[in-house]
Amino acid sequence: MNKSVIYIFRRFLFYCLAGFMAITLNFLIPRLMPGDPASIMFAQFKGKLKPEALDALKETFGFADGPLLMQYFDYLKHLFRGDFGVSISYFPQPVVEVISSGLYWTLFLAGTSLIISFILGSIVGIFLAWNRDQKLDSFLIPTLSFLGAFPYFFIAMLLLYYFGFILDWFPLRHAYSQYVTPGYNLDFIISVLSHSILPAFTLIFVSLGGWMLSMRNNMISILGTEYINYAKAIGYDKKILMFRFAARNALLPSITGFGMALGFILSGALLTEIIFSYPGQGYLLLQAVRAQDFPLLQGIFLTITFSVLLSNLIVDIILLLLDPRIRK
Amino acid sequence: MKLINTALLLFLFFHGCSNNEYQVEKGVMTISKEQTQSWVRNFNPLAPGANARWPSVAGIYEPLFITNSMTSKVVPWLGESYKWKKENRVLIIKTRDNVRWSDGKPYSAYDVEFTFNLKKKFPALDGTGNWKYLKSVTAIDSSHVEFVFSRVYVPGFEVLAGQPIVPKHIWSNVDDPVKYTDPNPIGTGPFTEIVKFTNQVWELGKNPDYWQKGKPKIDKLRFPAFLSNEQATLALIKGEVDWSGNFIPAIDRIFVSKDPDHNKYWFPKSGGSIFLYLNTTQPPFDNIDFRKAISMAIDRELITKVAMYDYTSPAHQTAISGSFLNYRLSSEKINESWVGFFPNQSIQKIKSLGYKKNSSGYWADSTGKEIQVSIGIVSGWADWIRAGQIISKNLEDIGIRARVKTQDFGAWFNDLQTGEFSGAIAWAESGANPFPMYEGLMASKNIKPIGEHAGTNWHRFGLSEVDSLVSIFEVTSDDSMKNKLIYRMQELFIKSAPAIPLFADPTWGVYSTKRFKNFPSADNPYAQISPNKTPENLFILTEVEPK
Amino acid sequence: MNNIINFFISLTNNFKAKVGLYILFIFIITSIFAPLIIGSPSDYVGVPLQAPSTEFWFGTNGQGQDVFAQTLHGAQKTLFIAFLSGFLVVLVGAFLGGVAGYFGSRLDDVISLLINVFLLLPGLPLMVILAAWLPPGPLTIIVVLVFTGWAWHARVLRSQVMVFSNQDFVLASKVCGESSFRIIMIEILPRMLPLIASSFIGATIYGIGAQVGLEFLGLGDISQVTWGTNLYWATNDLALLTGSWWTYVPTGVSIALVSLSLTLINFGIDELANPRLISERHLSNKLDGEFDRNSVTPVRMKNNVNT
Repeated sequence: MNKSVIYIFRRFLFYCLAGFMAITLNFLIPRLMPGDPASIMFAQFKGKLKPEALDALKETFGFADGPLLMQYFDYLKHLFRGDFGVSISYFPQPVVEVISSGLYWTLFLAGTSLIISFILGSIVGIFLAWNRDQKLDSFLIPTLSFLGAFPYFFIAMLLLYYFGFILDWFPLRHAYSQYVTPGYNLDFIISVLSHSILPAFTLIFVSLGGWMLSMRNNMISILGTEYINYAKAIGYDKKILMFRFAARNALLPSITGFGMALGFILSGALLTEIIFSYPGQGYLLLQAVRAQDFPLLQGIFLTITFSVLLSNLIVDIILLLLDPRIRK
Repeated sequence: MKLINTALLLFLFFHGCSNNEYQVEKGVMTISKEQTQSWVRNFNPLAPGANARWPSVAGIYEPLFITNSMTSKVVPWLGESYKWKKENRVLIIKTRDNVRWSDGKPYSAYDVEFTFNLKKKFPALDGTGNWKYLKSVTAIDSSHVEFVFSRVYVPGFEVLAGQPIVPKHIWSNVDDPVKYTDPNPIGTGPFTEIVKFTNQVWELGKNPDYWQKGKPKIDKLRFPAFLSNEQATLALIKGEVDWSGNFIPAIDRIFVSKDPDHNKYWFPKSGGSIFLYLNTTQPPFDNIDFRKAISMAIDRELITKVAMYDYTSPAHQTAISGSFLNYRLSSEKINESWVGFFPNQSIQKIKSLGYKKNSSGYWADSTGKEIQVSIGIVSGWADWIRAGQIISKNLEDIGIRARVKTQDFGAWFNDLQTGEFSGAIAWAESGANPFPMYEGLMASKNIKPIGEHAGTNWHRFGLSEVDSLVSIFEVTSDDSMKNKLIYRMQELFIKSAPAIPLFADPTWGVYSTKRFKNFPSADNPYAQISPNKTPENLFILTEVEPK
Repeated sequence: MNNIINFFISLTNNFKAKVGLYILFIFIITSIFAPLIIGSPSDYVGVPLQAPSTEFWFGTNGQGQDVFAQTLHGAQKTLFIAFLSGFLVVLVGAFLGGVAGYFGSRLDDVISLLINVFLLLPGLPLMVILAAWLPPGPLTIIVVLVFTGWAWHARVLRSQVMVFSNQDFVLASKVCGESSFRIIMIEILPRMLPLIASSFIGATIYGIGAQVGLEFLGLGDISQVTWGTNLYWATNDLALLTGSWWTYVPTGVSIALVSLSLTLINFGIDELANPRLISERHLSNKLDGEFDRNSVTPVRMKNNVNT
């Protein structure tokens, strides 16, 4: 037991270190871009602001200037106080408020899609590995690979166009209808669900093949091992063999992948959100980059880094619990 | 099988319960003007960066006077009349009586005095640079405000006139008006009640006690959040939007054809042009004839047809278009013609300047160096990029190496301001008449050295005569004198080709007459149509009525 | 060296890989030669948004340009950048991963930390930022792709190098006094050929997808004709809303076909390298009949009786 605790602690320390390095990089990279937020904001209006407005804007965002090192320490200081500053492109909304609106929707959409895709893909992968039908294999795998080879946004736009625009089966944008009030009422919940079907479907559609293949490959290598053969010889029921023995072990490498993917959902749904106008964090990130909104960018990065580290740590703990070999 | 059944059932359930059909009551106008992912509740009309929701500046709050660019008349609004005194050193504005704020309190000259002095106290609010030429703003009594100028600057009137006025009794209690989001605005405008505000849609209800009795006739404005142009266009096509300022490609085919009786658009030209700027500090662009030669190589017809979908027209020799037509120099006075497609003349001109075509077919100077142009355009502005691609092809055709360089606007604007570019497509200064455009193109006093950020005159071209013209213009309020100065500016522009006009700068207005009537249009041009043009959108907000 | 040649020969005999190679070959040949035959894709040759016809096989796009020409021209730049970035990714990954795996201890700790930090950085946002910062152009795209893609492959290659480094043949070479450089280059890396080839293909697939994604967002060099920019313009010209599917579909299908061909090749490599699949194949080549594949070795089934 002690060994496990030490192991987790070591991983935790490592994540802290990696996290710190990531935070520093996250701070540096936006600042190395040419231009400054005031000028960018000015330029966005394509000349509809007077040249004097530039001075006024620079005056407002004066805090963005100053020596880099000072900015860095300032940044760290505020970070530990939980103060992420005020967004530039959504001035004067605090960064925390801007992010929080998008965060939940991204977690909802990308999170549920990931979970469904993982579970569905893994189950199909298990079956595929067990019933090694040559014909099914050589048909299904290339087909799924082909479908997964299309650029994501391509499929998303086609589906949106056909099912949303032409057939009118699904809503064309947003996370919920503009005619319902947010809250714990049935109309709202149904609206949220119906608005999430198309984007979630595209997310699942494109990633399904990956989970399925990886699970299938894991299963195949497990099924070739001695203990499976032994269990078969003893006379275990096929179903029990498949799920209790083979699948459980095949799941382990997949969980690592799942953990990584979980950590990155806060950054991965960018194209989905753009195409379906889903109010999540991905698009916010793109906007922040374009506007050189440093505080917002740093805030978003922080959430992504934090969630990646956290999910990695959780995955490490889960693996520790599931796989006795690690404890040794 | 059971799985399929449940899936089918669920699908029908959702589809049946789908509440996406257009469910808006009569009298509610849906508008697409801003593109955002999620609404932020900010109605502060003074906020820097214009981050307040439209129509805070002209809709919730109102200005003193509005210049109607269609009729060129100055329309009194919160200001009733104005008078210059002491040789244009002092401006007296009489404020309108019997106007109330939406909380019932009366509006007066003290609100005007307060608003301007707030901008003085917090320079970050002074986006229009008023205090560069104002010395003091005082309310003489409850209906007169006196503006004392530190230097005579008559064009300053248009700027002051457009200032949205905020209520003193509310804003004097605000600690930091720069960061204040004004979530529950109190204004004098036709729409002041925030009926609903979620991050995907917000609604603005009408001011029950508006000073123009019987107006507005529209009950409520509603704003769904559209993330991109495509999303907004989708909504327009489906008949879910009544009025919009979006750019829509192939609009006849995509939008008008869906409902020809009701779907309409109008793109009146704003008066100026979009230019190709050449860095006049770099040879050979420092040579007037060479710039004219480049101008003559450009096929503007193709640009307006392909890049701008025929929504606008090729630029005029004076670069004046649309609503400023009456300022244009008469054609007898125009003795040159370098704004047009004359590639042979262009080649002749370049040859006469001493350049020779080298073995690859490109013009080179005596040292053998080829002429190169790199046209900088912002990577998101597709129509201008298309224009740039046509231009570079035109130039390549006559033997000048040209390419389009796309950049994100931060980098692009930075290069423009510091003068680190050879070519760029950009807008020109604008105002109530063409004078500011020419001033921005040719005044030498605004020139900053290469490497320093310049707010205007990025191409760094200046004539000292223009500086004197500007000084005279700033102090005169005589219209015929102003016209004479504008004519002279045009002559100088035609002679010296500081930048190359490409096409007239249009404003974008798209609307549907399915639920509302009395929009301004080419048949009824009582005002311009675009929601992008503030404060003139107030005309539309007060005139349009439900069917 | 023999091994390497044998490997490639057997690859071409594998069915899946064969199909993949054919498709890829067609695209590569097209991308090299088509631009010489077909005229410039940026010429304004026809009425905008015309449906496919005998004059324009893929119709015209929103500016009246020939979509067929654009698709063919686009292949060149897209494929070139994808392959180059794939190659560089594997180069960097093999170098860092190999060094870390072989030398171990301190060096490994440092490089592993670097790999893990890069893996923790979110790829897409990082790509967006880098692409927005650097001047638009193929070099930028390549830098962005390599910067965000190397870590994954480095980790995979490192694990394999570590496994090999502990094996007898390496220890023997060390005892014989071979230089580390020689050991890595001559002994270890050739043995890892399937893995390296697989990584190269994986990195190339990533290169195509990421490149197209960035250009679609408008972050690439829009004045170039590539598959990504074709899709960008198609969207900007509201292709779907005008029902102009031909400005959109050919490029998308091309991208999918190339990615598919690479994936098939990868499957082929896998079948060649995975010992279990090797033995299955040998058996099915030598014997006929149905096999129960779910045992340690495939067992021939008689009369559908399943043990």
